[in-house]
Amino acid sequence: MAKKQAKGWKEDFRRVVQAVQCLLMLAFLAFIPNANAASKIVTVEYRFFPGLARMGGNWAALKAASDGKVYVGLACNGCSGHLVFYDSKKNQMVDVGDLNTLTGENGLNLGPQSKIHAKFGEGKDGRIYFATHAEQWFDYARFATQEGYPGSHYMAYDPKTGQVQDFGIGPRFEGMNTGAYDPKFDRIYGLTHPRGHFVYYDVPTHAKVDKGRINNWDSICRTLGIDGDGNVYGSFGHGQIFKYDPRTDDITELSARLPIRQKGISLGRDYNKAETAWRVVVWDQQTKKFYGVEESASTLFSFDPAAPPDNQVKRLGQMAIPEFASRRNVPYATLSLTLGHDRKLYYAAAGTEFDYSSSAGAAASHLITYDLNTGKIEDLGEMHLPDGRPVLGTNAADTGPDGTIYFVGATSVKATPGEQNYGGKIGSVPYRLALFIYHPKAD
Amino acid sequence: MKLKRLALVTLVLSISVAAYSQRDPDYDKVVVPQTRIDARDLGYAPVDVIPDGESGITSLTVAPNGYLYGATSGSHAHLFVLIPLHGYVQPLGVIPGATSVRHAVVVSASGDVYIGTSPDGHLLKYTPHDEFDQSIQIGKPLPVMDLGQPVAGENIFALTIDRKANAIYGLTSPNAHFFEYSIASGKFTDFGVVAKNIPEGEKFEHDKIMSRTLIVDREGNVFSSGENGSFFRFDPKAQKLEKLSIQAPAVPGREPWTRVDAFLPDPSGAIYGGTSDGYLFRLDPENLTVTNLGKPLNQYRIDGLVRASDGKLYGVGGDKEEMARLFSYDPSTGAYHVMGFIDVDRRPYYVWQAYGVGAMAIGNRGTIYIGENERISKLYLFYPGQ
Repeated sequence: MAKKQAKGWKEDFRRVVQAVQCLLMLAFLAFIPNANAASKIVTVEYRFFPGLARMGGNWAALKAASDGKVYVGLACNGCSGHLVFYDSKKNQMVDVGDLNTLTGENGLNLGPQSKIHAKFGEGKDGRIYFATHAEQWFDYARFATQEGYPGSHYMAYDPKTGQVQDFGIGPRFEGMNTGAYDPKFDRIYGLTHPRGHFVYYDVPTHAKVDKGRINNWDSICRTLGIDGDGNVYGSFGHGQIFKYDPRTDDITELSARLPIRQKGISLGRDYNKAETAWRVVVWDQQTKKFYGVEESASTLFSFDPAAPPDNQVKRLGQMAIPEFASRRNVPYATLSLTLGHDRKLYYAAAGTEFDYSSSAGAAASHLITYDLNTGKIEDLGEMHLPDGRPVLGTNAADTGPDGTIYFVGATSVKATPGEQNYGGKIGSVPYRLALFIYHPKAD
Repeated sequence: MKLKRLALVTLVLSISVAAYSQRDPDYDKVVVPQTRIDARDLGYAPVDVIPDGESGITSLTVAPNGYLYGATSGSHAHLFVLIPLHGYVQPLGVIPGATSVRHAVVVSASGDVYIGTSPDGHLLKYTPHDEFDQSIQIGKPLPVMDLGQPVAGENIFALTIDRKANAIYGLTSPNAHFFEYSIASGKFTDFGVVAKNIPEGEKFEHDKIMSRTLIVDREGNVFSSGENGSFFRFDPKAQKLEKLSIQAPAVPGREPWTRVDAFLPDPSGAIYGGTSDGYLFRLDPENLTVTNLGKPLNQYRIDGLVRASDGKLYGVGGDKEEMARLFSYDPSTGAYHVMGFIDVDRRPYYVWQAYGVGAMAIGNRGTIYIGENERISKLYLFYPGQ
């Protein structure tokens, strides 16, 4: 009897705790948007990735292809990542497959192909080119070991056949941290991790080339930019820019310098992230310039490769959420920059340090634009879903053939007891990856 | 509103796990202790430095006066010096006819610097003069005297020097000739080869296998490894190169592909060395015995080996596709200590890690010099314990 009573009290206590937890969570979720009467809201549509709730991140791997399909690389911590696409014409999400299977490494107990961590590219043949990456590095204790990560695969997905072609491993033991595909020369370019080598795969000749070290811990470039002539650009060192010319197969280091913030501001983050690189750049064929955001203070700049050396880089403004603009703790820049058909740059700025489960906290992203015609920067407001949930961060952006702006990132979900229906937690908030869709004309 | 946000962020921070980042603070646990290592640019950064693509350090040696000389490989090869009094690297010039200088810089008792080049295959002499008073001019040719080519058609693969005998010894590539250069007479002598055949292997293997370095023992005999991992000895008194019946340690069956990567003389008269498979060994040059001391690392290669004043040997292991690690070996106990990746983190000023190492040397005051061999390379200074 006493045992039964004690069990009953325990049960009651457990229920009370659960109820309190639920209330706290609801209050917390409602609080995240930080909505006040003065805050602007920009509403975005969203699509989850069915059956892939446990995918925990996405970085750069987003491509809105010419046929209306939107390709996304989903990352899985300690397991195989997935290649998916959203068919915007059919409003349908398709899982092409898990990367371990697509690379032929399923069941080998090797370090998994957990990510596509770099940009996709679309070839003249309509294929989607990319390279794979690892997720867990274990302080590199398993690097180059039997059980370690075998290396990044160069790959292509053919939407006509639905088949993936594996071109094999490029850099042994290393992942493709950064990448870009050039349809002009039909090449997949990349920067490896951890050694920071500039590498490429030449699709017509099948040549795999390693041009050696370009990055180290002092500066990690996360976007390679390719101009209209097929020249490849990246950042290195203390805000420096390098150029690779496929005609000469040479790397040259330019004298231009990025407008990075002075070093020595200790944010804690500064120890981990070098803050010396450009975070993201996009090429504008009309002005024949790159537009980019550097990583220290989200400074927007233009880079004109054809300009005289002392006039190639110009500071255009700051793409951080305005209230951070003059502060030290500008959240680390995201990879979410794209050029819209309306000649505006669209950038999803993080509301706090954002890196999925490793984020400093939960805060709504803002959609910020820069008008290339007028030079005006505008904060369109916090990004919310139609149901009011905030976008908790993004790290990829692209523009569809119809002008639709796509982002991939995280939004909050309600955890289901007994199952993990989420990709991870940002602070204590369960989140799930989603494709966010914004229609500029709707505004 | 701001207070609310602050409260929210504080709450979330308090329950967040350690943030993943490009470089996690935990990484400092797997690198060399940060109070015992530093790095130098190869020149006066950011302008007067040996250019990227030409900065891979593949030779280091310490002169009798304690100056460190080094040579790089890449699209051009450069000679540099580090004068311990000043502590920075001073590029001295572009080495004529060279894109590579591999373990091929030696300094004579008189202080002249001898450089073995590749692909030209010439032995060059550089005579130091008022180096500290010279301004750095990247791209200027190094003033040298060309002493000729030891073996026609061959490039120089490795050099060592017997300062007492005033003799330089070397190996050539691709045909593995062993040669002597007499500083007094200025004459080269070719004593034959240490490898006749390219070992059986895959289609991408084209090299005759020989040691990457040479060593002179207390008696003036010169040791190398050659075909099938066998040791060779050159006796200067008899002027004879002979193949010995001892081999560098290897897993049985792997001898044909085994090289000695590094040699190190010990005050006891013994010779320590490291192999391409990553084994450390001790060679008794009198009794001609080899003791396999095991592997300090789960990696290939011993990229360099030095003996510090604490009596321990310090070495770096790791092949070009691996990540180099520093280790020590205590001959008195037989114990290894793996010290971690060769990395310097002095944020916000600089941070750099060497993934590949091309050479090591130790200074007269006990500083260990580690030369990175990559497209962008630095010189590392490691301070061993006492």
